[in-house]
Amino acid sequence: MIGQDEMLRIVERVLRLSGCAETEAVLTGEHLHLTRFNDNSIHQNLSRRNYVLRVRVVKEQRTGTAVTNRTDDDAIRWLLDEASKSADSKPRNPDSKSLPSPREPRQVSGFYHSTHRYTAAERADAAGEAITRAQARGLDASGAFSTGTEEIAVANSHGIRVYNASTISFFRTIMSRGEITGYADRLSRNVLDFDFGQIANEALEKALHGGDSIPIEPGEYDTIFEEYAVADLVRFLGYLAFGALAKQEGRSFMATQMGQKVMGENISIWDDAADPRGLVTPFDLEGVPKQKVSIINKGVAEGVVYDSITATKDGKQSTGHSTGYGGRWLMGPMPSHMLLGTGNVSREAMIRSTSRGILVTRFHYTHCPEPAKLVATGTTRDGTFLVENGEITRRLKNLRFTESVLRAFSCVECISSTSRVVKDWWSTFSSVLPVIKVKGFTFTGSTTF
Amino acid sequence: MRQVLEAILDKAVEAGASYADVRHVTGFTETISVKNRAVESMSHNREEGTGIRVLVDGAWGFASTCDSSATGLSGAASLAVQIARASARWKKARGVELSPLRPVDTRWRSPAAQDPFDVPSAEKISLLTDTSNAALSVPGTRIASATMTSFAEQKLFMSTEGSCIEQHITGCGATISVLAHDQNGVQTRSFSDFESRGYEFVRDLDLKPRAETLAGEAVNLLGAETCPRQKTDLVMGGSMVALQIHESCGHPIELDRVMGQEATFAGTSFLTLDKRESFMYGSPSVTITADATIDGGLGSFGYDDEGVHAQRTVIIDKGRFVNYLTSRETAAMFGQTSNGTMRAAGWSNIPLIRMTNINLEPGDWTLDEIIRDTKQGVFVDTPKSWSLDDKRLNFHFGQEIAYEIKDGSIGKMLKNPAHTAMTPQFWNACDAVANKQEWKVWGTPGCAKGEPVQVIHVGHGASPARFRGIRVGVGE
Repeated sequence: MIGQDEMLRIVERVLRLSGCAETEAVLTGEHLHLTRFNDNSIHQNLSRRNYVLRVRVVKEQRTGTAVTNRTDDDAIRWLLDEASKSADSKPRNPDSKSLPSPREPRQVSGFYHSTHRYTAAERADAAGEAITRAQARGLDASGAFSTGTEEIAVANSHGIRVYNASTISFFRTIMSRGEITGYADRLSRNVLDFDFGQIANEALEKALHGGDSIPIEPGEYDTIFEEYAVADLVRFLGYLAFGALAKQEGRSFMATQMGQKVMGENISIWDDAADPRGLVTPFDLEGVPKQKVSIINKGVAEGVVYDSITATKDGKQSTGHSTGYGGRWLMGPMPSHMLLGTGNVSREAMIRSTSRGILVTRFHYTHCPEPAKLVATGTTRDGTFLVENGEITRRLKNLRFTESVLRAFSCVECISSTSRVVKDWWSTFSSVLPVIKVKGFTFTGSTTF
Repeated sequence: MRQVLEAILDKAVEAGASYADVRHVTGFTETISVKNRAVESMSHNREEGTGIRVLVDGAWGFASTCDSSATGLSGAASLAVQIARASARWKKARGVELSPLRPVDTRWRSPAAQDPFDVPSAEKISLLTDTSNAALSVPGTRIASATMTSFAEQKLFMSTEGSCIEQHITGCGATISVLAHDQNGVQTRSFSDFESRGYEFVRDLDLKPRAETLAGEAVNLLGAETCPRQKTDLVMGGSMVALQIHESCGHPIELDRVMGQEATFAGTSFLTLDKRESFMYGSPSVTITADATIDGGLGSFGYDDEGVHAQRTVIIDKGRFVNYLTSRETAAMFGQTSNGTMRAAGWSNIPLIRMTNINLEPGDWTLDEIIRDTKQGVFVDTPKSWSLDDKRLNFHFGQEIAYEIKDGSIGKMLKNPAHTAMTPQFWNACDAVANKQEWKVWGTPGCAKGEPVQVIHVGHGASPARFRGIRVGVGE
């Protein structure tokens, strides 16, 4: 780690060397360590260290940016020069407003020394726990275990000076016997939250349950989605609909249905980066404190998330959801810490209440063929089961779904009383989600395994 | 820098590595984005760093750092060895073995008549603004975006076997996206292409007339009928064939994926080892090659990130599956030499087996002939969504635009088309591939793989093609 003093010194140095009226400096650092294993052996093991300095300058309503991963004075002068030349070569943007001003940050801490100091040998041993359990049952274990430390410092010419350090750890494993697989993962800022044996056992149970897989005709089924699968349904809401830019450009249903009922009354979704159940984070890439935002309240569309640019356009304040300015990610502000409200039943009770349905552990390669209507598709994987008369009876060959996410969230029959932090398949978001049961979910195809 | 990297390799060997290689990479990227006539974003990015890969006790370790000081680099070498020793606690009995490779000391540069970084920003902004204007000139267009990206990478690779390879790759490309919406919905039309070539490539893209055409199509799509659900003959435009190749052939032929090394995230492959040399992946019309030597191809290079020279490999030979994409480690399992597809994105990532330019070799039809020969069908183009199962068998692709084909002629426009099938059945249904005149290498700058995810440049040579009896128009 570079540490708070040095990180702030660097971003303040950018401001001192800048000759522009408005300047923003964002320094992000990453130390990532990742161990991958497959076929009961470690096949990749890596560590990477990088610090990236981004500079944004605003000159008479012209904005320019530059990025580098060096932080010495020569690099800073290059950044300022490139950003300034970029600004000069652009016409004035009359919609351009000033950089954000400081606001009181939320006090959250997401740094754990246990994670920061975790060694390659300890990661190997953790992989070994999964491998040993697999070998004992005659299965193959594959997976990935990462630990990392992140730092961020943001400073701008309006007085923003913020710094944060956080840690992150993610362990996942697939247990395989031929084409039969079972999956489990855990995500936390504190690696000591993980019981590797327990995670491995969850995947083992999925792999060993239900016998060989049988096919089922595509159609509409009452379907129970475990948290991993819910993450992929929520994902499309997050990046296609819940950001202010999508609303302002007319791409999101929020543009025409704000204040209207868009989902079932039992659905409430909000974004709260201070909720300790998630990966707590104090501010965004503009240094603006992350605010709690109610997005869907008892089925009614209530709000979207903003950065400073979209907020200015709507006459609002930034909610602290900037994804950074000037990068390739031009989708605008995004939710970052979504939570879906819990219900009052257990996963087991959901299964018991199902006369004929499907249990989905996880999705693969989900995509959205009709973004405006949020019609999504993808395939199930790593544990898809038939539920009959209140019991899991058989393992199923994987299925393809094609379904409107809005319709699915209008047909949620029940929600579990517990939730936990999970990533979607693409790791777009880390959200705190429960298990849900959806009535009449549409599967449109199947595969051979 | 050579002396510096040599010192790192020596350090790794002293610490116990039986093999080591090191890459120092400097990358430059410029991205300019215009939306509705306004320059939305203009950014310059310069990054450099070093990655070292070591084999110790038959197991891999890798460490990368942006710290170019002697201490930083030495620390990375030591860390890589430490990581390898940790890997060795759970390695396969035989350990990693590498196929043989003759070391080389050489340089390679991609072709570029005009360095895109020498072109004034004002000229690029003017082109993009004109492109956006051209789209907005069509009534009904709501959002018209045009983006240009230029990139350059300088890489120095050295290994303990004696290789020393310096490569310079320059390229550029552009993207257009047009959105129209009314009370009935939202429709988009887009275009994207990149090459490892100079600014002459962007000049030849004809962005302005292309944008106007796309805008007209986006607006017309609002009033078009929805593509009906049916089983019919499907004719795909070149850009759609390119993505089909990428997803349903390019990824399943990666031998590390076949071996299960990408299982937890990207999945595995239906092309299991027993299928090599015997499995009919497609019809006799289907020959697919991997070719990193194509001049200007976005997936082209001189040498891969193990020091293996770029080469052309036949993957599917008149329908029969014959070869995988391999590395020195995976090729050694079969007593072969690597066919040069180990690539890392930038300096900070470990090399993985990646696509290069994966191509459907041209046939001998023209697109007009294919259409005239089709009694009933649908023509689709420009991918909008893509989804496959975790063995790359069941797939679903959505497109931006379609046209009915009736009695050998193009008919009415259709919106929200899609098609779904199983990969081998789909490629075995291919009975016509357009010729060399209609064939081009489409540049795909965003191929993702690995944990942590790496995004790399690949290319796909493709021309329009026909597939008989395919389910289309799936899902409203």
